[in-house]
Formats: sequence, C-alpha cells, structure tokens
Amino acid sequence: MKSLQPLFFGIFGVFAFSWLGMTVVPNLQIGSLNPQSDEEGTDIYPQPPAGMVTRGAQVYAANGCFYCHSQQVRPEYGGADIERKWGDRRSAPRDYIFEPVVFLGKMRNGPDLANAGHRPAMQESGAAAPTGGAAASPAPVGSASPAAQSSPAASGSPAASASPVAVTEPTTGESPGAASSPAAATGPTASPSPAAGASPIASASPGATGAASPAASPSGPSASPTTGATSAPVLVENVAALTSGGEPVPYSAAWHHRHLYDPRSVVIDSNMPSYRYLYKKQRLGGGVSPDAINFAGANASDSEAGWEIVPSYDAKCLVAYLMSRNQSHPLKEAKSPVTAPPAVAAASPSPAKEAQK
Amino acid sequence: MNPIATTAEEPNADIEVTTSDVERVERALIDASTRLPVLFFYSSAIVWLLISTFFGIFGSIQMYAPGFFAGLAPLTWGRVHPIHFDTLIYGWGCMVGMGTATWLMARLCRTTLRHPLILITGAVFWNVGVLMGVVGIMIGDNTGYHWLEFPGYSAITLFVSYLLIMTWALIMFRYRRRGHIYITQWYLLGAFLWFPWMYAAAQIMLFVFPVQGVMQGVVNWWFANNLLFLWFGSIALGVAYYMIPKVIGRPVHSYYLATIGFWTFALFSSWTGMMRLIDGPFPAWLITASIAAMILTIIPVATVGINHHLTTRDHFPLMRYSPTLRFTVFGAITYTAFSIVGVIISLRSMARYVHFSEASTGWTYMGLYGFFTMVLFGSMYYIVPRLVGREWRYATLIKLHFWGAAYGIGLLVLLLLVGGFVQGLYFDDPTLPFEETVQTILPYLRGATLAWILLTVAHLIFAFHFGLMILGFGRTASVPTFLNPVQNEKREPAI
Repeated sequence: MKSLQPLFFGIFGVFAFSWLGMTVVPNLQIGSLNPQSDEEGTDIYPQPPAGMVTRGAQVYAANGCFYCHSQQVRPEYGGADIERKWGDRRSAPRDYIFEPVVFLGKMRNGPDLANAGHRPAMQESGAAAPTGGAAASPAPVGSASPAAQSSPAASGSPAASASPVAVTEPTTGESPGAASSPAAATGPTASPSPAAGASPIASASPGATGAASPAASPSGPSASPTTGATSAPVLVENVAALTSGGEPVPYSAAWHHRHLYDPRSVVIDSNMPSYRYLYKKQRLGGGVSPDAINFAGANASDSEAGWEIVPSYDAKCLVAYLMSRNQSHPLKEAKSPVTAPPAVAAASPSPAKEAQK
Repeated sequence: MNPIATTAEEPNADIEVTTSDVERVERALIDASTRLPVLFFYSSAIVWLLISTFFGIFGSIQMYAPGFFAGLAPLTWGRVHPIHFDTLIYGWGCMVGMGTATWLMARLCRTTLRHPLILITGAVFWNVGVLMGVVGIMIGDNTGYHWLEFPGYSAITLFVSYLLIMTWALIMFRYRRRGHIYITQWYLLGAFLWFPWMYAAAQIMLFVFPVQGVMQGVVNWWFANNLLFLWFGSIALGVAYYMIPKVIGRPVHSYYLATIGFWTFALFSSWTGMMRLIDGPFPAWLITASIAAMILTIIPVATVGINHHLTTRDHFPLMRYSPTLRFTVFGAITYTAFSIVGVIISLRSMARYVHFSEASTGWTYMGLYGFFTMVLFGSMYYIVPRLVGREWRYATLIKLHFWGAAYGIGLLVLLLLVGGFVQGLYFDDPTLPFEETVQTILPYLRGATLAWILLTVAHLIFAFHFGLMILGFGRTASVPTFLNPVQNEKREPAI
C-alpha cells in the first residue's frame, strides 16, 4: 500500500460498518421498547423497579454475581433452560427494558436467576392450591433446586417441608452414601423431570399426583419430622419468616439471606462463596431482631448463643433485587412452550423416578 | 497494489542494507529515541502481569474452594476475577501492546520518536487509570459489564491517557519516511484508530447515554470481541508480520495474501460480538450475523496462516535458536487454533452445550494469552536487547519461560475447553440436578490451578530476567542469546 488515504478510509469504513450494523441498527429495532399492556391498559408489564431493587443491582454488580449467574432463559430449541424450570418461557428484549444494568451473564457456575423471584410465588400457589392437598404440589420448586425435598407429610403446607436444610442432615440411614455423594443426596427426590414442569396440571389430576408423591417422599419424614403443625407459609418479605420446622421457606427472603451468609447450610453442594461481609454480627439485645438470620437446622457454628447475624442494608437490597427477578408475565412475542397433556406429564416422570430409586 | 512489484522491497529492505553503516546508525538513533518510553511501557506491563497472575491463581483456587478468603469483601471471587481479567487486559495487554507498537512504528516509519517524555506521561496516567480501576473494583464500584468493569473515574483516565499515547504514535506517521507502508503498519494503524472508537462508543452507550435493556448486552459484547480481535489481535498480527520475516531474513511470502487477510480480518471479526450471546433475547438476525461472521474469519486466518507458513518454510529449525521466533510462531499457530475453536463453539448446535460453560473462558484465554501474549513475549525478546544494548543473560531462563508459558496456557485452555464441554453436556440433561453440573467442572478447575502455577513460575522467571536487563546485567556480546548452541549451521541465524 503506497498511500495512507485508502488505508485510512478503509480502516474507518470497516469499523463504521460494524458499529452501525451491530449497535446502531439493533438499537433502532429493540432499543426503545414500551411496556406491554392489555386493551384496558391495566396489566402493564414490565414495571420500573423500586429503589431498593436498583440499589440491589449495584450490590449484585459490585460482588460479581453476574460472572456465575446468567439472567436469560433460552428458548426450548436453544438449551434445557425451560426444562430446568428456570422460566416458563424464553426471555425477550421487553423483559429488560427497565433494568438499570442488564446482567445477561455468560457463565452458569450458578443457576440462572432470570426468574429467581418467581420461584417462591410458584411455591406459594402450590401450597395454597386446595386440590393439591397432600399431593406433590411443590413440584415446581423441585425442578432444579435443592428445595426438592418435597414431602407429602407436610399436609397443610408442602412448602414448609421443602426446606433444603433437610439435606444438611441427610437421611443417611436410608440411602447409604448420601452424605458423601452429592448425586445421591439430591438424586432420588430432586429428579427435575418433566413432572415438575407439569405440576400445575399434575395437582389437578389425581392420577398424576398419586404417581409423583410417593417417589418424592423418602426423605420427607425423617428430614423434617416436626412439620405437622404448620402455619401456612406464604411469600414473606420478613426475614424472620419461619416455618414451623424453623427453617426458612426456600427462595423466601429469609432463605436468601441465609443462603448468602452461609450457602452450604441450605444447599449442601453449593459452590457459592459466602457473602458474610454483607452481614453484621451483633450481641443479642432485648430479644432477637426481627430480621436476624434464621439458622434453624444449621450447624451450631453458625449460630452462637448470645449473638445474632443481621443483614446490612446492602444485603437487604440484594435480596430485594433477587426477589424482583421475574419473567413469568406472558409476553406476546415470547410464547410459552406448549404444555404437555396431563396424561403424558404423569406417565413420563414415573419411570424416571422409579429408576432413580 | 501490485504484489510482484512490492514483494522485493519489504521489510527486509532493512535487512538487505544492514551493511550500510548509515542505515545502522540511523536505526540505533531511532531505537535510542524510543528507549525510555518503551522500557517504561514494558516495565509497567510486567508488573501488571505479575499482579494479574497473582489474582488469577487466587481466583482459580476460589473456583473450587469457595471458602478461600470468602469473608473479605475485596478478595471475594466476584471481585478477584474482574481484577485478574482487567489487569490482564488493560494492565498487561494494552501496555505491552502499546510499547511494542510504539517501537515498531518508529522503526517502520524510520523516524525518531519526538518528545518521548510526553509518551511517558501518557503511560504514567494509564498506570494510574488501571490502578484506580483495580481499587474501584475492590471497594465495590464494579460497573457490571464484562471487560468494562473499571468505574467511570478510571475509564476517563484511561481514555485521556490513551489519546495522548495514540497521538504520539500517529505523529510518527506524519513524519514517516515517504514510501511504502508495510503490513505491520496497517494493523497497527487499524488498532490505534479502532481502539478509541470502540472504547468511547461502549462508554457512551453504556454509561453516558445508556441504551435500553438488552442493547447493553449487545454493546458490551460488541466491545469485548472487538477488543479481543481488532485491538489485541491486530497488534499481535502486526507484530508477527514483522518478527517472522525479520528473524528468518526473507520477505513475506505474498503481499497479495496479506492484503486479503487484513481487510477480511477487519471486516469479519468486527461482527463477531454476538457469538457470546447465542439464543439470547435478541433479534435472531443479529446473532446469525455474528455466527456467519465468525465462520468467515476462517478466510483471514487461512490467508495469514498460509502466508506465515510459506514465509517460514524451510526455516523452522531456526525455532531451535531464536526465542523471538519460537514465541511468535507459537502465537501464530495458536491464532489459527483460536479461530477454529471460535467457529466451533459459536455454531448453534455446539453453543447449546458450551455457551454458558467454562469453554468460553478457555477460548478467551486462548486468544488473549496463547495468541496475543505469546507473540508479544516474542517481540520483547527481540526489542529489549536493542533498547538496553545488552543481550539476554541466560538462555535457560528463556527456555524455562517458554515452556512454562506454553505448557501452562496449553493445559489451562485444554482443561477449560474439555471441562466446559462436559459441563455443557450435563447442563443439557434436565434430569441432573444443577448442583451436579457444577460438580463436574470442579476437577477441571483444580487442574487449572496447576496451569496457573506453571504460568506464575514462567512470569516470575521472565520478570527476573527482564529486571536483569533493565539493571544492566545483560550480556555484552556481539551475538544474540541463542536458545541452544548453534551447531552445524552453514550460516549464523539472523536473530
């Protein structure tokens, strides 16, 4: 090349092409979306986040959560995200329009969090479902989570016994090697098979629930023997919310705080570091603070007598942010996958569960 | 351009006339003018490389031992990891790249560097910017965007000091000796002009006037892949185009191929950003365009690879002696492998498995370290003796550095790619609990620590050796340091 000019303009032009094509044109296409609403203009989604959620996003970024947790659900043809119950449907650009910082993520050394705040709601609806009764209604939670210790014994509130803490005091007597082998500990009961996906249908269909619940039961009785008299566990914002067994409801705020403070006390195989620097250790005053971490069922080392662990404001914001992750609202442009008929849902999981026993 | 007419006069025009005392004196003057700034760039880069290595091995342990220093906010993995990566990119990569580029610019423009102190000022402020970024991440000011974690006060410092550095590099172009513009200069000019554009565009579109929603992800990865390809890749390719012919002592095989390679490289690799977000919440055409662009990067890879191969043909034994050639050829071969792996992991059928696994990290290391860093190590082995006027002290240390780095990065990339693929297979089986998919990657991550130990040793050796050179403990000899004693050679290698 003899002269500078063609080189200079070529360098300029090539990059302008990339910049326009990769950022400016897509920005014209999806860069100014509006929330979706129905005809009356009432059912608006998404909605701007609350102040604590915005601050929680900063805490999320500051501690690098987004390096291990993605926040995007791929369509059913793109991966097993929906089968893993990380969402009811694929994520769409409109889901993110009010996010101050979008943490799409690129790594999943932790589970996807696009619907982290949707999980307790799923659980609550399961507990409230009258027809569900003793059936396996908490199945949705069981999908990809340690909370899968769903126990039919917890008649009034299956969610109560679904505490993952049960795993920390494993049913070693029943299944040899459960303590040492992660697969064995979560395997028999967790089995996030299509049955979990189809749970709303399953609870409506006696046949389906009947098939699912015995399989889910083995660890139940021994894991949480005290679940008999349960006050109805609902989605609670209060950190101290307990079940009668004393353990926090999975994916409730109380559970998140304990998980952040001591991940392995609720998820035995967790590879997440502890974020205990977001918490304060203080001497017990007149009584337990309303937002002190509930360590019921955990090792004694976490809960010293006379001391309590309370979340900092940042920790509360982070949990508020996590619980605001919810892409369950239907979107016109992202259809939910067609739900399998109940019969199929009931039939398919059973062999799998049998096999795992 | 007419390839036949131009082949003859390149860059070995330099070499052919080494007999001319005038040329030799002129080059000595040029080298002398770049001595201070380039050595300053190199010293800073090596310090950042050591810092990055420390955080790399630290974070690598935390990957499978989550309790390791978990209670300390500044040393939680979520902060250690971005510090490791950003010091590798902005501390080591950018500084060593700018140092080598400055030297090459002066050499190829055949002009002395004017007012080197201003360039040093730019480098000092670049160091300050990186340091502020590291402290910013430590105290929790991570912005939340990959490779752009440095908070605003750091980013603006980096940008201003970059403008200072870039202006000085371009001024050399203004004063260049009239005549031919060599391939290396195309790449360096491209890199110097693309970097401020991509950096400013990303900063403005993410922080000043933030784009809405998922467009942030698009801009983020558009920037990140451009940084990898058009900044680091351009510099490394430019260096390889200079060093390989220079050491071997024969011209680049085909100028024509090099032209095709340059323009297709710029055109296609600048469109690859969305291969990091396959099947994400984006218009499908955008992702498909990136996958197509990634596949098309095979064209520049093939042209560059063939060109280098044909240039080196019959001279591969020189790798036994020349450290520069050995590092550079390692990097150039990794470039080919890097692009092929990039194509494979961005195919939709493959991305289904490896998309959210460690494989993408492994691929990034392949480009940033196996390709870029190794080529730049090679350039330092060539340039530093010419700046300090001494030869490298110990051939053994160079060999240890090479093998430590080569085995280290090879092991790291292999473990992350294979481990990532296995992890991805487990992801795709929804009957396996998620925790189990994480457990599968842990053995590979333990192995990665071993790779980091190798890299740490290699970097410490190199830093020590470089320190000897800076302090004037190099050999005073008329011949360069060969890796192995020259035996049975008809002629002395022109290292």
